[in-house]
Amino acid sequence: MSLEFNVKKRLDGFSLDVGLKLTDELMVLFGPSGAGKSLTLKMISGLVRPDEGFVDIGGGLGGGGAWGAGGAGGTRVFDSASGVNVPIRKRRTGYLFQDYALFPHMTVIENISYGINGLEAGRLREIVGELVRVMRLEGLEKRYPAELSGGQKQRTALARTLATGPRVLLLDEPFSALDYQVREKLRGDLKKIHGLFPITTILVTHDLEEAFMLGTRIAVINEGRIEQFSSREDVFYRPRTRNVARFVGTRNIFTGTVAGIDGPDVVIENPDIGRIRAPRPTGELKAGSEVSFCIRPEEIPVIRPERTLDAKVRVNLIEGEITETTGKGTTHTLFISTGKGGAGGAPIKVEVPNFVFKKLGLAKGKPIRVSLKKESVWVIL
Amino acid sequence: MELFPLYLTIKVSLTATVFAAAIGIVVALVMARRDFFGKNAVDALIMQPLVIPPTVLGYYLLTVFGRSSFLGRFLEDSLGVEIVFTWRGAVVAALVSSLPLFIKPARAAIEGVGKDLEDAARLLGKTEFQVLRTVTLPLAWRGIVAGGVMAFARATGEFGATLMVAGSIPGRTMTLPIAIYDAVQMGDNLTANILVLIITVFSFSVLYLVGLFTRGRF
Repeated sequence: MSLEFNVKKRLDGFSLDVGLKLTDELMVLFGPSGAGKSLTLKMISGLVRPDEGFVDIGGGLGGGGAWGAGGAGGTRVFDSASGVNVPIRKRRTGYLFQDYALFPHMTVIENISYGINGLEAGRLREIVGELVRVMRLEGLEKRYPAELSGGQKQRTALARTLATGPRVLLLDEPFSALDYQVREKLRGDLKKIHGLFPITTILVTHDLEEAFMLGTRIAVINEGRIEQFSSREDVFYRPRTRNVARFVGTRNIFTGTVAGIDGPDVVIENPDIGRIRAPRPTGELKAGSEVSFCIRPEEIPVIRPERTLDAKVRVNLIEGEITETTGKGTTHTLFISTGKGGAGGAPIKVEVPNFVFKKLGLAKGKPIRVSLKKESVWVIL
Repeated sequence: MELFPLYLTIKVSLTATVFAAAIGIVVALVMARRDFFGKNAVDALIMQPLVIPPTVLGYYLLTVFGRSSFLGRFLEDSLGVEIVFTWRGAVVAALVSSLPLFIKPARAAIEGVGKDLEDAARLLGKTEFQVLRTVTLPLAWRGIVAGGVMAFARATGEFGATLMVAGSIPGRTMTLPIAIYDAVQMGDNLTANILVLIITVFSFSVLYLVGLFTRGRF
């Protein structure tokens, strides 16, 4: 199974132009609210008609739906150029709404069976029974949606979608309405379910943790455009744009001037931080040109005063003062100022585990040494 | 006492309600789910019978269905259907004045069915008709039934427009409200009291039952 599309849509003060090509993977479409995530799903499923573009579902990679219900080759379900527009009901796209959209006048079983057509009773019972088991809905078969918990509703909705043997699965912020603990558990469930039914899946989220946990590949969307589509490691550690860096929680993003190139390294000058070394990025780089560079706050080690400086930490060693600390439950964020850039300089944010924070007696006003380890610094051209 | 007015009123009101439901569901669906140019004007037009004087409404209907109009002549000459000064005239008057009372709750109920639910049904492979039959109408049925009951109640009480279109021919077009008027005019207080009691008990029961009914689970 596969999915390939390119859709364009103009709305008041917003334009969307998104194209992606997927295999039978679980892909996360990640971006801030209003970036066009849900709109993209709606255009793939046919709920919203694109102004321009195409949607291909299938691609002939695998053997049809979850229940072996056909699925020969790729199908073009939308194409503005040739006027193809397959109605929603014939696209076989599984769609999970943010609030699940369970039919309130039907029981769990009736909801799950709703989309299954033309099966003899025995086979129907078999399939529905299997889904009830996989989704851990035993004992709830006769309940109405109003009598279910959030997690049970979500699993019922997922079962209802899977029952129709969809060729792609579109999940619109499926965990946003759930409590933290339930969310944790259901994310794990979803991974398992995707293993059982390896259907091309797009999961939309604005939750960073969720994106990292679930996406083999992540597409970062902003203002209707894909800014980066790559493996999750690339998105997290090698962001292609400042926006991506910002969205994935790279809280240290600076601008600097290229002071020189030294073999595999580039030396960058920043008024607050001074000179630092970073791995040289691919692409053209000239001395004197302006670049952005970034480092994740949890990748910056604090260097204890008594530690001898080996080659690893001697490079990019920064000395400064803690100007602020904020606790976040399991970690503390330190705001460090070098004092070089004056009052306007952006502080370096360093995230340390609580035990380190306590052990080193870190506090506001204390001097500190940190290392912007060369291999953790990433240059954005 | 003559019981014909009671029988006629029930017959006229039931017929009017059936037509009101058939027309009203379609109108309510369109008004609830489609956007089109002039929707507000159409809405104002549909709701007119609630606000214009019944005599004005009756006059309009006379003009549209009378022998001198194209429609009236067509119905009479080609189909052999006479409207004015027959019990059918009373049905038309009752239908037009009760239609808005059906459409209002029916439309609200259909609008109350989330669009996501209908979309979910489409995504699960259902045709528009199947969506209507299995999702929209089952979820909106309380509002639709409430609309039907309101329409029926309104039809039984219709006076002004009915008098204009159907007249008050005893034994042919004299409905219950007109019979009450007639009885009072004639000084027949006993008949008037009995008929008034019947209407009052009926109207109260209808509103009470609608209230019970529309306190729904969904």
